[in-house]
Amino acid sequence: MDDWKPSPLIKPFGARKKRSWYLTWKYKLTNQRALRRFCQTGAVLFLLVTVIVNIKLILDTRRAISEANEDSEPEQDYDEALGRLESPRRRGSSPRRVLDVEVYSSRSKVYVAVDGTTVLEDEAREQGRGIHVIVLNQATGHVMAKRVFDTYSPHEDEAMVLFLNMVAPGRVLICTVKDEGSFHLKDTAKALLRSLGSQAGPALGWRDTWAFVGRKGEAECHWADTELNRRRRRFCSKVEGYGSVCSCKDPTPIEFSPDPLPDNKVLNVPVAVIAGNRPNYLYRMLRSLLSAQGVSPQMITVFIDGYYEEPMDVVALFGLRGIQHTPISIKNARVSQHYKASLTATFNLFPEAKFAVVLEEDLDIAVDFFSFLSQSIHLLEEDDSLYCISAWNDQGYEHTAEDPALLYRVETMPGLGWVLRKSLYKEELEPKWPTPEKLWDWDMWMRMPEQRRGRECIIPDVSRSYHFGIVGLNMNGYFHEAYFKKHKFNTVPGVQLRNVDSLKKEAYEVEIHRLLSEAKVLDHSKNPCEDSFLPDTEGHTYVAFIRMEKDDDFTTWTQLAKCLHIWDLDVRGNHRGLWRIFRKKNHFLVVGFPASPYSVKKPPSVTPIFLEPPPKEEGAPGAAEQT
Amino acid sequence: MSRISKNVILAVLTLTSSAFLLFQLYYYKHYLSAKNGTGLSKSKGNRVGFDSMQWRAVKKFIMVTSSQNVPVFLTDPLILGLVSKNFEQVKNTSHVSTSECQFFCVPRDFTAFALQYHLWKNEEGWFRIAENMGFQCLKIENKDPRLDGIDSLSGTEIPLHYICKLATHAIHLVVFHERSGNYLWHGRLRLKGHIDRKFVPFRKLQFGRYPGAFDRPELQQVTIDGLEVLIPKDPGHFLEEIPHSRFIECRYKEARAFLQQYLDDNTVEAMAFRKSAKELLQLAAKTLKKLGIRFWLSSGTCLGWYRQCSIIPYSKDVDLGIFIQDYKSDIILAFQDAGLPLKHKFGKVEDSLELSFQGKDDVKLDIFFFYEETDHMWNGGTQAKTGKKFKYLFPKFTLCWTEFADMKVHVPCETIEYIEANYGKTWKIPVKTWDWKSSPPNVQPNGIWPISEWDEVIQLY
Repeated sequence: MDDWKPSPLIKPFGARKKRSWYLTWKYKLTNQRALRRFCQTGAVLFLLVTVIVNIKLILDTRRAISEANEDSEPEQDYDEALGRLESPRRRGSSPRRVLDVEVYSSRSKVYVAVDGTTVLEDEAREQGRGIHVIVLNQATGHVMAKRVFDTYSPHEDEAMVLFLNMVAPGRVLICTVKDEGSFHLKDTAKALLRSLGSQAGPALGWRDTWAFVGRKGEAECHWADTELNRRRRRFCSKVEGYGSVCSCKDPTPIEFSPDPLPDNKVLNVPVAVIAGNRPNYLYRMLRSLLSAQGVSPQMITVFIDGYYEEPMDVVALFGLRGIQHTPISIKNARVSQHYKASLTATFNLFPEAKFAVVLEEDLDIAVDFFSFLSQSIHLLEEDDSLYCISAWNDQGYEHTAEDPALLYRVETMPGLGWVLRKSLYKEELEPKWPTPEKLWDWDMWMRMPEQRRGRECIIPDVSRSYHFGIVGLNMNGYFHEAYFKKHKFNTVPGVQLRNVDSLKKEAYEVEIHRLLSEAKVLDHSKNPCEDSFLPDTEGHTYVAFIRMEKDDDFTTWTQLAKCLHIWDLDVRGNHRGLWRIFRKKNHFLVVGFPASPYSVKKPPSVTPIFLEPPPKEEGAPGAAEQT
Repeated sequence: MSRISKNVILAVLTLTSSAFLLFQLYYYKHYLSAKNGTGLSKSKGNRVGFDSMQWRAVKKFIMVTSSQNVPVFLTDPLILGLVSKNFEQVKNTSHVSTSECQFFCVPRDFTAFALQYHLWKNEEGWFRIAENMGFQCLKIENKDPRLDGIDSLSGTEIPLHYICKLATHAIHLVVFHERSGNYLWHGRLRLKGHIDRKFVPFRKLQFGRYPGAFDRPELQQVTIDGLEVLIPKDPGHFLEEIPHSRFIECRYKEARAFLQQYLDDNTVEAMAFRKSAKELLQLAAKTLKKLGIRFWLSSGTCLGWYRQCSIIPYSKDVDLGIFIQDYKSDIILAFQDAGLPLKHKFGKVEDSLELSFQGKDDVKLDIFFFYEETDHMWNGGTQAKTGKKFKYLFPKFTLCWTEFADMKVHVPCETIEYIEANYGKTWKIPVKTWDWKSSPPNVQPNGIWPISEWDEVIQLY
């Protein structure tokens, strides 16, 4: 400031005093050409630099954005990612999508455009009369279906109702009338249109033009904003057909919080649910499982055989852990490989577990399922002669099972809800599990003597699981009706099991001998298939002897099982040639003579029952002759 | 006039340009500071007292976790270090309120806690409550490595890390998962695309650079700075584990590809060998652990782990490596007590030591002692008949944890270099005939033992 001296040239121009400082400066510069040039060049250079810096910035930002897009796909180490980070990123970058829909309705022409693309245009004469319906995907705006219903003619409205009902909720619906669409538009259809949110549709008049754009099921339920309902919403937006889970009013609960079990010995035992693609079954199964007393949901893992979405959605609905399994091999071998992977995974996920509960997706679980296991699981630890504990009694039908507190030892492996010992799996089964090329049933394989090695399973008299599956690999409606439907299933909570320790190897023999001693020998001259074979008493113990020449001679037993309407497809539920069932509320023992060690209890006077097997294949031609 | 307007335009442009440039400079500075992650550390000038942000964040965090039964324990190396230095004081003052905030008020960016996932009963509510209390939380999930070993399973992702930020301090909650072999594992902290990379200075995190494995610590409740927390009963041991906790997963995918190409040997003999080799390895690990000796899978056993995630059925022995500085004289006795008699002993502690023990079912346990030089490691071999010495050279390596035979065991972190040194580039191709004196590419003759020493350096039993 100090060096500045007002120019004597300017000062006299008083009239120009108002001129700005700029002009003063300019005039000064005009007189100094060199300086002016210098300034100009400087400015140009400066501009150039700015332009370059700007361009670089734009390029950098571009690169950062494209990298950001790249790494949304594969994840990467945060070190690298940080190094490459170039610019702050927009958060929540997916904006709410807006669909621009244009609809035209008239006598001679209908027209629909979505986001500027024509998706329907019909101006042909004498054609395309009625209501045109277009279904758009709500997320992408793609056309998912295009129909025309000539509701001027009869019954077309019914087809429309059918169609609209089939459209998945959430879809965008576009309706527009060409020419006439009201004549045969009946009340059902109008009610449906009203429920979809249309105001003019239900009141559509003769040759009215009408267009409607709406979203199906848009009337989203106002469930309270809880974690549970968030799961429910996610589920209901994806799948349908699960009853009132998705009802807006009083939906079925998806959390059950059953009573905890006092002194629960199986609280930390992992539960593996083996599932396929039967999501409705899985839903029913998980409901009953999660309602069982003493269940701990975080121990449950659902293993789904295949990349099916719906079962996974069901699992997520209940907030459980779900694991999908790429199918290996086919049919039985596929199931068997799925079992193996699931069991291995279970013990990997719960490395401290000594046992695992294995369930299937088509089982109902009794309310005292865990209570039953909690009371009996110590047997698996203490008795090496045990193979498993199962919740299923193969012979426990409505008419042959009675006592929920009673347990048996059986030589067969029933499955259908059972406990597996980790050491058995890791040391014996896993290493020699049937390989994928062997088309074996895993359960048949487990029942083979090489695997079972004379060990037995503990089962209850009244099953703690119920097999409701009608469709399945080895299952059909007829088969289910005949062998599973009438199975007894315990519904009483908190049953106290009786004398559990008598199930141990030696104690059980003592128990059987006691039973046989007090049992009354039945009249062997009567027909064992008849109800009158047993007296009309209650709470008594009876014994009958059937013929059984060798350990594997089950001819008479099979016939007896058949006429008693219990499991007769193979031998189940036996313990050293002894079967225990209930008939007419009496405990009924069947001893195979002379193969069973219990044959010694047979009074000499009694002749063991022998039932003739039906004539085999050679009988068939004879039967043909008769017809 | 034209000249004037030209000048005017130039001047205006210059002005706007400088404005732009200034703006960009400002922006760039801002961006740079963000990149270096100084966001949190700016506020370090707080005084050491109970109102420090660190203490408040920890307090709130402990309130949330104890009310929601989140099973956490303190793993922060800095604080555990202080605690273990003043362990007596911490234990004694357990219920007396301390007048001075000594531990949790130490300036730092993070406080690390571990979450024992298997003890966690209700996962859902916690997050929300933490957020309601003012935490900003980030959850990092990834796939469950415990399913990797099994063909073709893919499951629900498991949480690996939570980072909850309260103003300037963040709690890093590392999720510890149970693994087969009675140890705890935590995952690597990987940021997926959508995660805000500036959320916290991730680089400064103490856990998560690599996956880690820890012995399952016994815990105890203590009161630190008026806050009740669980800490490992032996904080010193836990602190020692941290720098060496890096865990590497077996390469299950590659192993499956290998087994597809060469088919696994599932004969009864192979199964039997695998079983006894596994038992031998477990027994050896138990014995060495009791002695406190570090070991790693070496030679064929290491190759089996790396190539096929299992024991090579035709390898006929189990090979372990031990650093010679970890050698203890009672090792032979300890193995004998464990039921593994000494089969032979070659070399001596100063040179080329190698021990062999006889396991059950004719499976042999070979222990090679490794000697460290400035630029490489080596172990020795001795031919019993001739007294010839051999030297096997390896590039330098460090030790990492892995899971093998249902155990947490060490392997060289630089596994591929280790294996290639030992088996060459063609290690992927199974070789059944292998001469330990000539086949390895890293073998070199190392002279001959003087006959006078033979009695000591060649002992066969």
